[in-house]
Amino acid sequence: MAMEVNPTSKQTIIDNETQREKVEEQLWSWGAGTDGQLGTLRLQDEHLPQLLNVPSLSSASSVSMLACGGAHVVGLTSGGKVLTWGRGNSGQLGHGDMDCLLSPKIVMSLESYCITQVSAGWSHSGFVSDEGCVFTCGDGSFGQLGHGDYRSHCSPVKVSFFVNKHVEQIACGMRHSLVLLKDGSGNLLYGFGSGKRGQLGISIDRIKSVNAPEIICGFDDVQIITITANADHSAALSADGELYTWGRGFGATSDFLSPQQSPSSSKFSKVALGWNHALVLSDNGEVFMLGGRHHGMLSNPEITTLSKHLSDGAVLERVPGLDGIKVVDIAAGAEHSAIVTEEGVIKIWGWGEHGQLGLGSTRDESSPKTVSLGDEVERKNVTVRVYCGSGYTYAIRTFCS
Amino acid sequence: MSYDDVEIEDMQWNEELQAYTYPCPCGDLFQITKEELKIGEEIARCPSCSLYITVIYNAEDFADKKSNNNLEPPKRQAVAVA
Repeated sequence: MAMEVNPTSKQTIIDNETQREKVEEQLWSWGAGTDGQLGTLRLQDEHLPQLLNVPSLSSASSVSMLACGGAHVVGLTSGGKVLTWGRGNSGQLGHGDMDCLLSPKIVMSLESYCITQVSAGWSHSGFVSDEGCVFTCGDGSFGQLGHGDYRSHCSPVKVSFFVNKHVEQIACGMRHSLVLLKDGSGNLLYGFGSGKRGQLGISIDRIKSVNAPEIICGFDDVQIITITANADHSAALSADGELYTWGRGFGATSDFLSPQQSPSSSKFSKVALGWNHALVLSDNGEVFMLGGRHHGMLSNPEITTLSKHLSDGAVLERVPGLDGIKVVDIAAGAEHSAIVTEEGVIKIWGWGEHGQLGLGSTRDESSPKTVSLGDEVERKNVTVRVYCGSGYTYAIRTFCS
Repeated sequence: MSYDDVEIEDMQWNEELQAYTYPCPCGDLFQITKEELKIGEEIARCPSCSLYITVIYNAEDFADKKSNNNLEPPKRQAVAVA
């Protein structure tokens, strides 16, 4: 549930790797797995990282990004193909049925498009093509598919509202969606779906839901370059590295019906949203958190209650225990967080009941702990990326020669 | 402690489960049946994990009525209130 500031440049790097340097790409998953979202071919939780054997992915060249939703995963290959797996009971996998899938399968109806960005919400999915079209499928009962009704779809349907516009990104939350248009297209940011907590940002009044895209206010003089959504939260980063959040408040703060800038002296390059916290990565590799003071204490009722009342969730705080460590990637699950250090080490903390921390137990952790991806073979030029779904985690490790 | 307070109108009726549901952070669904609501239960549990939520509802809406067979759950239909 996070978005790169510049997905295109990252993809280019990977493309180059495919041609010249890439030796091996590994997909690892762990955590909640009872809907097939781990791609392990088993319907069970995994407390330790599992190396996946996915012929459908390796034959389709490298993975440029994963989007992890409530219990389904959308994978995008560097060639612009989309694969989905996991829970499909609302049609969120886009294969024309409502079945769950235990392993990645290509979404055939998007085969004729080159998809450049994907997003996975609680039970809906969004896909953006290189021509600027956006497609949605899955649960539409809150209007989150943006087709002007409350119907669900089990195959991706083009959102007709954007037919004459150039869409760059879509971000899917629990019951809402955000769409960012390419710079120069005029009004840049749109929201649709459930808006009860202010997550649409389309009005100063509370709006229960809208089923067609409406303009998000407050960005007249700001250039937004990335958007993200999860649960009832929405966030955006500006070209100047400013963080904006709206929707449900973090910690003890009230809901924000319109985008609010978080005051900070840092410039941010990436934002990831959980269900009660936000993680942000600064330009210089530092990680900050919004509303995270009780993060990692979900199974300790006393601490949770106490800290929930004391916390001032509107303040960005540095994640402790990362002094002197430069972070290059971040991801947030519903109640857990993952980061990757400059050295390619994954650190993770938060709620652990389903093994989503990958530490071999179901304990919660309130500070970052190192995850081991099987036998740590010493190889140079390792790139690691992390992605979190609600209660599970994925890592992609790429070895280059 | 309760993970969250959720209004019944924000829960979705699930025909298959015969229960009102709301997303659980583990990926499964918090669930509460009409029978539970009828007897004043306000905790919706997730079958897959230890978390639960508190359901906010008007007890009268679910109290036993003479012909409760006619009491169909309100169809989840979100309405735009612009």
